Amino acid sequence: MSQASNPFNSGSGKKTTCIEMLQVILDGQATTDQCEYFRLHMDQCMPCFKNYQLDIAIKEMLKTKCCGGEAPTELVSKIKSQIAQNIR
Amino acid sequence: MEIEKAPRQHYSDFEKGEIFNNEFLPHIHAMYNFGYRLTLERDDAKDLVQDTYFKAFRFIESFQRGTNAKAWLFRILKNSFINDYRKKIKEPNKVDYQEVESYYNSEDVDRQITSDLRVDALKDMIGDEISNALNALDVDFRTVIILCDLEGFKYEEMAKILDIPIGTVRSRLHRARQLLKEKLSEYAKSMGYKNTEL
Repeated sequence: MSQASNPFNSGSGKKTTCIEMLQVILDGQATTDQCEYFRLHMDQCMPCFKNYQLDIAIKEMLKTKCCGGEAPTELVSKIKSQIAQNIR
Repeated sequence: MEIEKAPRQHYSDFEKGEIFNNEFLPHIHAMYNFGYRLTLERDDAKDLVQDTYFKAFRFIESFQRGTNAKAWLFRILKNSFINDYRKKIKEPNKVDYQEVESYYNSEDVDRQITSDLRVDALKDMIGDEISNALNALDVDFRTVIILCDLEGFKYEEMAKILDIPIGTVRSRLHRARQLLKEKLSEYAKSMGYKNTEL
Protein backbone atom coordinates (compact mmCIF):
# COMPACT_ATOMS: atom_id res chain seq x y z
CA MET A 1 0.00 0.00 0.00
CA SER A 2 2.89 2.38 -0.54
CA GLN A 3 2.32 5.70 -2.25
CA ALA A 4 4.32 4.55 -5.28
CA SER A 5 2.10 1.51 -5.81
CA ASN A 6 -1.13 3.46 -5.60
CA PRO A 7 -2.76 3.05 -9.05
CA PHE A 8 -4.86 6.17 -8.41
CA ASN A 9 -1.77 8.40 -8.49
CA SER A 10 -1.43 10.32 -11.71
CA GLY A 11 2.37 10.53 -11.66
CA SER A 12 2.33 14.25 -10.91
CA GLY A 13 3.62 13.53 -7.40
CA LYS A 14 0.37 14.74 -5.81
CA LYS A 15 -0.97 12.33 -3.20
CA THR A 16 -4.41 10.95 -4.05
CA THR A 17 -6.79 11.53 -1.17
CA CYS A 18 -9.37 9.08 0.18
CA ILE A 19 -12.22 11.17 -1.19
CA GLU A 20 -10.67 11.24 -4.65
CA MET A 21 -10.27 7.46 -4.66
CA LEU A 22 -13.82 6.96 -3.43
CA GLN A 23 -15.21 9.23 -6.11
CA VAL A 24 -13.43 7.38 -8.92
CA ILE A 25 -14.92 4.14 -7.57
CA LEU A 26 -18.43 5.57 -7.15
CA ASP A 27 -18.40 7.22 -10.55
CA GLY A 28 -17.67 3.86 -12.19
CA GLN A 29 -14.36 5.07 -13.60
CA ALA A 30 -11.97 2.81 -11.69
CA THR A 31 -9.73 0.26 -13.38
CA THR A 32 -9.49 -3.31 -12.05
CA ASP A 33 -6.21 -2.40 -10.30
CA GLN A 34 -7.79 0.65 -8.68
CA CYS A 35 -10.79 -1.37 -7.47
CA GLU A 36 -8.48 -3.95 -5.92
CA TYR A 37 -6.30 -1.27 -4.30
CA PHE A 38 -9.34 0.44 -2.83
CA ARG A 39 -10.73 -2.87 -1.54
CA LEU A 40 -7.50 -3.46 0.39
CA HIS A 41 -7.35 0.19 1.46
CA MET A 42 -10.80 -0.10 3.07
CA ASP A 43 -9.42 -2.82 5.39
CA GLN A 44 -7.21 -0.14 6.94
CA CYS A 45 -9.39 2.94 6.61
CA MET A 46 -12.68 2.91 8.53
CA PRO A 47 -14.00 6.25 7.15
CA CYS A 48 -13.53 4.97 3.60
CA PHE A 49 -15.23 1.68 4.47
CA LYS A 50 -18.23 3.44 6.05
CA ASN A 51 -18.55 6.03 3.31
CA TYR A 52 -18.26 3.38 0.63
CA GLN A 53 -21.02 1.29 2.24
CA LEU A 54 -23.28 4.33 2.48
CA ASP A 55 -22.60 5.63 -1.02
CA ILE A 56 -23.09 2.23 -2.61
CA ALA A 57 -26.38 1.81 -0.71
CA ILE A 58 -27.54 5.19 -2.06
CA LYS A 59 -26.53 4.22 -5.59
CA GLU A 60 -28.45 0.94 -5.34
CA MET A 61 -31.52 2.72 -3.99
CA LEU A 62 -31.38 5.26 -6.79
CA LYS A 63 -31.27 2.47 -9.35
CA THR A 64 -34.14 0.53 -7.85
CA LYS A 65 -36.38 3.46 -6.86
CA CYS A 66 -35.77 6.10 -9.52
CA CYS A 67 -35.42 4.11 -12.74
CA GLY A 68 -38.91 2.76 -12.90
CA GLY A 69 -41.60 3.70 -15.31
CA GLU A 70 -41.84 2.85 -18.95
CA ALA A 71 -42.65 5.45 -21.55
CA PRO A 72 -46.44 5.55 -22.08
CA THR A 73 -47.54 3.27 -24.91
CA GLU A 74 -49.45 6.06 -26.66
CA LEU A 75 -46.26 8.13 -26.78
CA VAL A 76 -44.30 5.25 -28.32
CA SER A 77 -47.09 4.62 -30.85
CA LYS A 78 -47.32 8.30 -31.78
CA ILE A 79 -43.58 8.58 -32.40
CA LYS A 80 -43.51 5.34 -34.40
CA SER A 81 -46.44 6.34 -36.62
CA GLN A 82 -45.06 9.85 -37.28
CA ILE A 83 -41.70 8.45 -38.30
CA ALA A 84 -43.30 5.71 -40.42
CA GLN A 85 -45.12 8.43 -42.38
CA ASN A 86 -41.85 10.19 -43.03
CA ILE A 87 -40.02 7.19 -44.45
CA ARG A 88 -42.71 5.94 -46.79
CA MET B 1 -22.32 13.92 -30.74
CA GLU B 2 -22.71 17.39 -32.22
CA ILE B 3 -25.85 17.41 -34.32
CA GLU B 4 -24.83 20.12 -36.78
CA LYS B 5 -21.06 19.56 -36.89
CA ALA B 6 -20.86 15.76 -37.28
CA PRO B 7 -19.86 14.54 -40.77
CA ARG B 8 -23.03 14.00 -42.77
CA GLN B 9 -23.95 10.40 -43.57
CA HIS B 10 -26.14 9.30 -46.46
CA TYR B 11 -28.87 6.82 -45.62
CA SER B 12 -31.71 5.41 -47.72
CA ASP B 13 -35.22 5.55 -46.25
CA PHE B 14 -34.92 1.86 -45.40
CA GLU B 15 -31.67 2.49 -43.52
CA LYS B 16 -33.18 5.46 -41.70
CA GLY B 17 -36.04 3.25 -40.54
CA GLU B 18 -33.61 0.58 -39.42
CA ILE B 19 -31.49 3.03 -37.44
CA PHE B 20 -34.52 4.61 -35.87
CA ASN B 21 -36.11 1.33 -34.85
CA ASN B 22 -32.99 -0.58 -33.86
CA GLU B 23 -30.70 2.11 -32.43
CA PHE B 24 -32.95 4.94 -31.25
CA LEU B 25 -36.22 3.41 -30.07
CA PRO B 26 -34.69 0.89 -27.62
CA HIS B 27 -33.68 3.87 -25.44
CA ILE B 28 -37.16 5.37 -25.20
CA HIS B 29 -37.82 4.25 -21.62
CA ALA B 30 -34.50 5.65 -20.36
CA MET B 31 -35.23 8.84 -22.34
CA TYR B 32 -38.66 9.16 -20.77
CA ASN B 33 -37.22 8.67 -17.30
CA PHE B 34 -34.56 11.31 -18.03
CA GLY B 35 -37.22 13.71 -19.34
CA TYR B 36 -39.37 13.12 -16.29
CA ARG B 37 -36.47 13.60 -13.86
CA LEU B 38 -35.58 16.88 -15.57
CA THR B 39 -39.06 18.37 -15.84
CA LEU B 40 -40.73 16.55 -12.91
CA GLU B 41 -43.94 16.51 -14.96
CA ARG B 42 -45.18 13.47 -16.91
CA ASP B 43 -46.80 15.55 -19.68
CA ASP B 44 -43.71 17.71 -20.13
CA ALA B 45 -41.57 14.57 -20.23
CA LYS B 46 -43.76 13.18 -23.02
CA ASP B 47 -43.43 16.40 -25.03
CA LEU B 48 -39.69 16.46 -24.49
CA VAL B 49 -39.22 12.85 -25.56
CA GLN B 50 -41.44 13.26 -28.61
CA ASP B 51 -39.60 16.41 -29.64
CA THR B 52 -36.24 14.67 -29.13
CA TYR B 53 -37.17 11.70 -31.31
CA PHE B 54 -38.48 13.94 -34.09
CA LYS B 55 -35.28 15.99 -33.97
CA ALA B 56 -33.18 12.82 -33.95
CA PHE B 57 -34.96 11.66 -37.10
CA ARG B 58 -34.62 15.06 -38.77
CA PHE B 59 -30.87 15.05 -38.10
CA ILE B 60 -30.41 11.30 -38.59
CA GLU B 61 -27.73 11.84 -41.24
CA SER B 62 -25.60 13.50 -38.56
CA PHE B 63 -25.65 10.25 -36.63
CA GLN B 64 -22.96 7.73 -37.44
CA ARG B 65 -24.14 4.13 -37.24
CA GLY B 66 -22.48 2.06 -34.55
CA THR B 67 -21.64 5.09 -32.39
CA ASN B 68 -23.27 5.77 -29.04
CA ALA B 69 -26.92 6.39 -29.94
CA LYS B 70 -28.02 6.66 -26.32
CA ALA B 71 -25.51 9.44 -25.53
CA TRP B 72 -26.48 11.22 -28.78
CA LEU B 73 -30.20 11.08 -27.89
CA PHE B 74 -29.57 12.18 -24.30
CA ARG B 75 -27.64 15.17 -25.60
CA ILE B 76 -30.49 16.19 -27.89
CA LEU B 77 -33.00 15.82 -25.05
CA LYS B 78 -30.82 17.85 -22.67
CA ASN B 79 -30.44 20.63 -25.28
CA SER B 80 -34.19 20.65 -25.95
CA PHE B 81 -34.80 20.91 -22.23
CA ILE B 82 -32.44 23.88 -21.88
CA ASN B 83 -33.46 25.68 -25.07
CA ASP B 84 -37.19 25.09 -25.04
CA TYR B 85 -38.52 23.92 -21.71
CA ARG B 86 -36.24 25.78 -19.30
CA LYS B 87 -36.69 29.04 -21.22
CA LYS B 88 -40.45 28.57 -21.06
CA ILE B 89 -40.49 28.33 -17.29
CA LYS B 90 -37.67 30.91 -16.98
CA GLU B 91 -35.94 28.91 -14.28
CA PRO B 92 -32.78 30.73 -13.26
CA ASN B 93 -29.59 28.74 -13.00
CA LYS B 94 -29.07 28.58 -9.28
CA VAL B 95 -25.76 26.76 -9.20
CA ASP B 96 -22.68 28.81 -8.40
CA TYR B 97 -20.08 26.70 -10.18
CA GLN B 98 -17.21 28.87 -9.00
CA GLU B 99 -18.20 27.98 -5.48
CA VAL B 100 -18.42 24.30 -6.42
CA GLU B 101 -14.94 24.30 -7.97
CA SER B 102 -13.49 26.15 -4.96
CA TYR B 103 -15.14 23.70 -2.63
CA TYR B 104 -13.78 20.70 -4.45
CA ASN B 105 -10.25 22.07 -4.60
CA SER B 106 -10.17 23.26 -1.01
CA GLU B 107 -8.20 21.66 1.80
CA ASP B 108 -11.47 21.06 3.68
CA VAL B 109 -12.74 18.52 1.24
CA ASP B 110 -11.39 15.44 3.06
CA ARG B 111 -12.65 16.63 6.40
CA GLN B 112 -16.18 16.68 5.00
CA ILE B 113 -16.01 13.10 3.78
CA THR B 114 -17.96 11.72 6.73
CA SER B 115 -21.70 11.97 6.58
CA ASP B 116 -24.15 11.89 9.45
CA LEU B 117 -26.36 9.51 7.49
CA ARG B 118 -26.28 5.80 8.30
CA VAL B 119 -26.92 2.80 6.05
CA ASP B 120 -29.60 1.38 8.37
CA ALA B 121 -31.51 4.68 8.27
CA LEU B 122 -31.25 4.67 4.50
CA LYS B 123 -32.54 1.10 4.23
CA ASP B 124 -35.64 2.01 6.24
CA MET B 125 -36.66 4.52 3.61
CA ILE B 126 -39.44 3.12 1.51
CA GLY B 127 -38.75 4.74 -1.82
CA ASP B 128 -40.38 8.14 -2.01
CA GLU B 129 -37.65 9.67 0.12
CA ILE B 130 -34.83 8.87 -2.28
CA SER B 131 -36.90 9.99 -5.26
CA ASN B 132 -37.94 13.20 -3.47
CA ALA B 133 -34.36 13.86 -2.41
CA LEU B 134 -33.17 13.48 -6.00
CA ASN B 135 -35.98 15.67 -7.34
CA ALA B 136 -35.22 18.35 -4.76
CA LEU B 137 -31.70 18.87 -6.10
CA ASP B 138 -31.04 21.73 -8.49
CA VAL B 139 -31.50 20.43 -12.03
CA ASP B 140 -27.78 20.60 -12.90
CA PHE B 141 -26.86 18.46 -9.90
CA ARG B 142 -29.82 16.16 -10.52
CA THR B 143 -28.72 15.65 -14.11
CA VAL B 144 -25.23 14.36 -13.30
CA ILE B 145 -26.62 11.89 -10.75
CA ILE B 146 -29.10 10.60 -13.33
CA LEU B 147 -26.48 10.27 -16.05
CA CYS B 148 -23.91 8.56 -13.82
CA ASP B 149 -25.87 6.53 -11.27
CA LEU B 150 -29.05 5.71 -13.16
CA GLU B 151 -27.75 5.48 -16.71
CA GLY B 152 -24.11 4.50 -16.16
CA PHE B 153 -22.52 7.07 -18.48
CA LYS B 154 -18.76 7.63 -18.22
CA TYR B 155 -17.13 11.03 -17.57
CA GLU B 156 -16.30 11.53 -21.24
CA GLU B 157 -19.86 10.76 -22.36
CA MET B 158 -21.33 13.04 -19.69
CA ALA B 159 -18.95 15.84 -20.71
CA LYS B 160 -20.21 15.56 -24.30
CA ILE B 161 -23.87 15.31 -23.33
CA LEU B 162 -23.61 18.34 -21.03
CA ASP B 163 -21.06 20.38 -23.01
CA ILE B 164 -18.81 20.84 -19.99
CA PRO B 165 -15.20 19.80 -19.24
CA ILE B 166 -14.57 16.42 -17.57
CA GLY B 167 -13.20 18.22 -14.48
CA THR B 168 -16.52 20.01 -14.10
CA VAL B 169 -18.41 16.71 -14.45
CA ARG B 170 -16.32 15.30 -11.59
CA SER B 171 -16.73 18.29 -9.30
CA ARG B 172 -20.45 18.57 -10.04
CA LEU B 173 -20.96 14.87 -9.31
CA HIS B 174 -19.05 15.18 -6.06
CA ARG B 175 -21.15 18.13 -4.90
CA ALA B 176 -24.36 16.46 -6.09
CA ARG B 177 -23.61 13.37 -3.98
CA GLN B 178 -22.97 15.56 -0.92
CA LEU B 179 -26.23 17.45 -1.43
CA LEU B 180 -28.18 14.24 -1.93
CA LYS B 181 -26.79 12.88 1.33
CA GLU B 182 -27.76 16.09 3.12
CA LYS B 183 -31.34 15.71 1.88
CA LEU B 184 -31.44 12.05 2.92
CA SER B 185 -30.04 12.98 6.33
CA GLU B 186 -32.93 15.40 6.81
CA TYR B 187 -35.37 12.59 5.99
CA ALA B 188 -33.54 10.22 8.38
CA LYS B 189 -33.81 12.76 11.19
CA SER B 190 -37.49 13.28 10.48
CA MET B 191 -37.92 9.50 10.72
CA GLY B 192 -36.54 9.56 14.25
CA TYR B 193 -32.92 8.63 13.68
CA LYS B 194 -31.59 11.09 16.27
CA ASN B 195 -28.10 9.64 16.65
CA THR B 196 -26.98 9.69 13.06
CA GLU B 197 -23.25 10.10 13.67
CA LEU B 198 -21.16 7.47 11.92
